[in-house]
Amino acid sequence: MNRLKLFEKLRVPMMLFPALAIVVLLFGGGMISGIGQSVGYFPVIGLQDFTLDYYRDILTDSGFIESLWLTFRLAFLSTLMSSVIAVLFALVLRHAFRGSQFLTFLYQIPIPIPHLVVATGIVLLVSQSGLLSRGAVTLGLTSTPRDFPVMVFDRPGIAIQLTYLWKEVPFIGIVVLAVLKSVGPQYEEIAQTLGANRWQRFRFVLLPLIMPGILSTSIIVFAFVFANYEIPLLLGVRYPTTLPVMAFRNYQDPDLALRPQAMAISVILAIVAILLLVAYKRLAKYAAET
Amino acid sequence: MTHVLIKDLTRRFDSVIAVNNLNLEIESGEMVAFLGPSGCGKTTTLRMITGLLLPTSGDVLFDSKSVLTIPTEKRGAVMVFQKHLLFPTMNVAKNIGFGLRMAKMPQKEIDRRVSEMLELVRLPGFETRRPHELSGGQQQRIALARALIVRPNVLLLDEPLANLDANLRLEMRELIRTIQNELNTTAIFVTHDQEEAVMLADRIALMFNGVLQQFDTPQAFYERPNSAQVARFFRNDNMILGTRRGSVVETPSGNLEIDAGRVDQSDGPVMVTVRPEDVALVPSDNTNLVQAKVLTQVYMGTHKQVQLDVMGHTWLAHGPADFEIEVGQTLPIQLPKTHIWLLPSENGLQNV
Repeated sequence: MNRLKLFEKLRVPMMLFPALAIVVLLFGGGMISGIGQSVGYFPVIGLQDFTLDYYRDILTDSGFIESLWLTFRLAFLSTLMSSVIAVLFALVLRHAFRGSQFLTFLYQIPIPIPHLVVATGIVLLVSQSGLLSRGAVTLGLTSTPRDFPVMVFDRPGIAIQLTYLWKEVPFIGIVVLAVLKSVGPQYEEIAQTLGANRWQRFRFVLLPLIMPGILSTSIIVFAFVFANYEIPLLLGVRYPTTLPVMAFRNYQDPDLALRPQAMAISVILAIVAILLLVAYKRLAKYAAET
Repeated sequence: MTHVLIKDLTRRFDSVIAVNNLNLEIESGEMVAFLGPSGCGKTTTLRMITGLLLPTSGDVLFDSKSVLTIPTEKRGAVMVFQKHLLFPTMNVAKNIGFGLRMAKMPQKEIDRRVSEMLELVRLPGFETRRPHELSGGQQQRIALARALIVRPNVLLLDEPLANLDANLRLEMRELIRTIQNELNTTAIFVTHDQEEAVMLADRIALMFNGVLQQFDTPQAFYERPNSAQVARFFRNDNMILGTRRGSVVETPSGNLEIDAGRVDQSDGPVMVTVRPEDVALVPSDNTNLVQAKVLTQVYMGTHKQVQLDVMGHTWLAHGPADFEIEVGQTLPIQLPKTHIWLLPSENGLQNV
């Protein structure tokens, strides 16, 4: 009897153990050793003493602030624009019209395509030697490919933004579309008979209904873009670059002494990301209140 | 308080005619039921009155002015749906105050009117409740309050009582009637339940297949249906064929005397009908007797329902609860002169 009870008690933890082990060992272990290195515990190269020097160095470096701002700007703009465009698409695609199913299919294509492939495609499309540039010359809009506006390896990061948009709009949109379709037209019809105009129906009826969907997906997008390094590495200028790229370069540097700095950047990145997400969630919740 | 006129209203969906040349005049402050089986065009008509659906042809007039060019949000024809559909993202007060908020009324005034409305629907103090915390009947009342607060020209209710259980239906019926009387709002509701229409409406518009059959008081549907189809919808299938000649109708089992001033069919082939509750199983004299054979009998508590064979037609009759009768027995029944109603004759019906 007692043994049975004990077994019942341990059953859930035991079943969770394999998954927990992986998460704790790989993720938790990596995190702890990373945090350890960032505060000066890196026995491999003889570092043992606790220090916040690396944090101090980074936080006082003017390049860091510039990078942080760039990282934030990219993540914020990508998330905002993706969300807005995704909602607009979803508002159109939720109605059944001739070709709407095909359009919905087209709309979902970017989801399984890797970011790297998209980045390459964007380069082929919008760089000065790319398709659009050549097309512009052929059409006589520009006299040489060099007259085409710089969108790759540029400071504003236009190609980076385009890559994120192409990937994330369908991701957010598909969730919003599913919510919209399950909601049906009746709430809006009631609102309309009660005197709500088109904007008011969107603002006070639809938006609050789809806000949880927008929120949960756009948070994922923001967190992803904020911590993503391959796109800015491929399509961005060398300096200033985003924090993940900065951390990655320091990490890859043959000089192992730069590694604690890489870890410190990563930890700061994680903390800033968490703070921003909390703030964002609060803000979005406030905005959705009607 | 709006007078509603529906003129030659037609709506097609591809090849299907959902509403066919409908003409109705609804007095201001009147409560009208659109009654009929599902798919008869009643909800389509309701949607055309709100403006959510455009008619193929015809017109809708409020107080003698066409409203077809007025968009739904400015028309003041407010809809309450079958499922009460309170906005799930808003609490009760926000739900009820929605229309006033859209009209940009000051919040103080909205709050005042919301609590007034909550009094009216007998749910005072419910302002901060969320829709999912309410029972079906409470949601229904909040939906009603949300519609009434904007003082609509016309209140439109789509199967308002369909989702409620029996006790609640009775209570809501009372409440809707009381409130509608108090506010004197012109109201139209859609239902497939003949009983609901009778108890709630001043007048009933009965529709079959997009065509208006009869627009009349509830009493008229029982006493003076204008076709066999209408009579059957109101649960009267007691019919035999005959030929009217002045104040008698000739039938195979003899002549029936009728009250010539009461009926409106002229001389010629007609159908004779008497409602089950008016058939006299115990004749009071020798007039208008018809032979009938008892097919079944069911004790109904307040009365006994007897199924009879009358000239090859199956009739129902209500007798006293303690009425002694045997299945298979033949007896004379009386069709009282003052309760005989004549219907236009219908193809396919034959006396045996």
